[in-house]
Amino acid sequence: MVSRLMYVGIFSAFLFAALMSRAVAGDAAVGEQQFKEKNCFVCHGPGGKGMASYPKLAGRDVDYLVDRLNTYRSGTKVGPNSDLMIMNAKPLTDEEIDNLAVYLNSAKPK
Amino acid sequence: MKKSFTTALLLTAGIAVATSSFAGHHGHKSAVVPKITQEAVMTGLESPWDVDMLADGTMFYTEKCKGFSVRMPDGSVNALYGMNGSSGYAGMGSDLICSNQAGMLGIAVDPNFDQNRRIYVASASTKYHGDGCKTNFERCDGNIVMRFEVSDDFKSVSNRTDIVKDIQFKPFESNHPFGGNGAHNGNRPTFGPDGSLWITTGDRHRGVCPQSPELICGKVLRIDTDGNAHPDNNPPAGFDKRIYTYGHRNVQGIAFRADGAVFTAEHGPWHNDELTMLVNGKNGGWDPRQNVGGRGECPDEYCGYMPNQKEGVIPAVRAAYMPMSDTRFPDLMPPAWQNNGYSQGTSSIAFLSGKQWGMYEGRAVVGIMGIAFGGTPAGMRLDVYDIAQDGQSIKSVIHLPVESKRYRGVTMGPDGALYANTDEGEIYKITATK
Repeated sequence: MVSRLMYVGIFSAFLFAALMSRAVAGDAAVGEQQFKEKNCFVCHGPGGKGMASYPKLAGRDVDYLVDRLNTYRSGTKVGPNSDLMIMNAKPLTDEEIDNLAVYLNSAKPK
Repeated sequence: MKKSFTTALLLTAGIAVATSSFAGHHGHKSAVVPKITQEAVMTGLESPWDVDMLADGTMFYTEKCKGFSVRMPDGSVNALYGMNGSSGYAGMGSDLICSNQAGMLGIAVDPNFDQNRRIYVASASTKYHGDGCKTNFERCDGNIVMRFEVSDDFKSVSNRTDIVKDIQFKPFESNHPFGGNGAHNGNRPTFGPDGSLWITTGDRHRGVCPQSPELICGKVLRIDTDGNAHPDNNPPAGFDKRIYTYGHRNVQGIAFRADGAVFTAEHGPWHNDELTMLVNGKNGGWDPRQNVGGRGECPDEYCGYMPNQKEGVIPAVRAAYMPMSDTRFPDLMPPAWQNNGYSQGTSSIAFLSGKQWGMYEGRAVVGIMGIAFGGTPAGMRLDVYDIAQDGQSIKSVIHLPVESKRYRGVTMGPDGALYANTDEGEIYKITATK
């Protein structure tokens, strides 16, 4: 009985997580274009390689990148340059965040 | 070469230059627009911050979070002195740290290098924190200038002597844009025509710094190679005698015009990058203290990004509230140029020398790094300024036709080319031909 309840609990947790999460299906090519047009490269460097005091983004996990951009978009501070990122992330749509995340995950620094 | 080579040129040219003219400003003005070419001499570096060179092309350079190295004329590289955590260097300073904007920044070659083998390097260091650095609101001696001697084979350095130990450092994050620790260090050393060593410093996000008589933050220093004040420095009574000028925000560029006038390139907050001709003992006019100049309290006692520091504001409104060059100071040095109200991140400055530069000979070239924030256009370029002889205005500014990059440093080379290092990791040779 206990184990059956445990299975139900685990299944419910997975189901809840699946329902709460948003599938990431970005377009890397569009994300690359956005990375340029929105001047992300000016701080984060070509291909998101990172430079000066701005972090490397190339190769980071998609989930991490989506989470960070969502966090900034919500106005929450994470790290010393949050004010810059909050202002830049505020106008982003879900689709744009997905595109940027998929692109940066696959990006090779130039 | 922006430092020792320029100094050698000046000393060689001597009175002839001083008494006649410097090209581009008097009678000898060329109308030729030079052809500009650009080639990478080094790539794959990690945030190269500064470069200085010997007459034979030997190039010393820093990497902000690694250390300093030398590139020999044959292209080989010797890693000379690393920072805490780095590897592959002949020597290492465990006290040398890198965090956000801070790290190993400027480097300068002694004008008498052939005799004394000395170079000078500015870096963040934990060695002299002592009882300070416990909060952002107290003294923190965390930026230093070191003197080294380079071995005859250029493969190692020795006799490290810390000649300046008390440049201020920001130890903790604060409630500001770019608010991480290690902010605003200046740290661009350069040699003047008389052989004195000039050091720029930043306000390290501490409101009281630039106008403080004792703290050497937000200052330009003029010292000898042992760290002693130049005897002709003329700061106000009660000020540290090493101070040449005060009231600066974050001076990342300093260079000498052929007539000996010294200019700084200063990075504005959200507004007003500036180029300024320095006057001994005078005030750059930056004063980000709270409860002065008509301002009230500010986040973490620093008004540098106010008002409304987290949102876009019309630059003129910011400039009126928190001026880069506050006219309430009677000893203000007015800038020769301010960036039409914008801050696009001025970095380094050099004066173009040699007739190959045609109509640009004698003009100032400045790195504009700008991150395109809050409605400000992006920078990512090198601009060339024709500064009026009295240093109170400019006659023109043009974009140098080079690749769009984040140009952190510019240095005149011994071959008459301009060397430019980028945050992307390259060192470029930019050549002018008629």
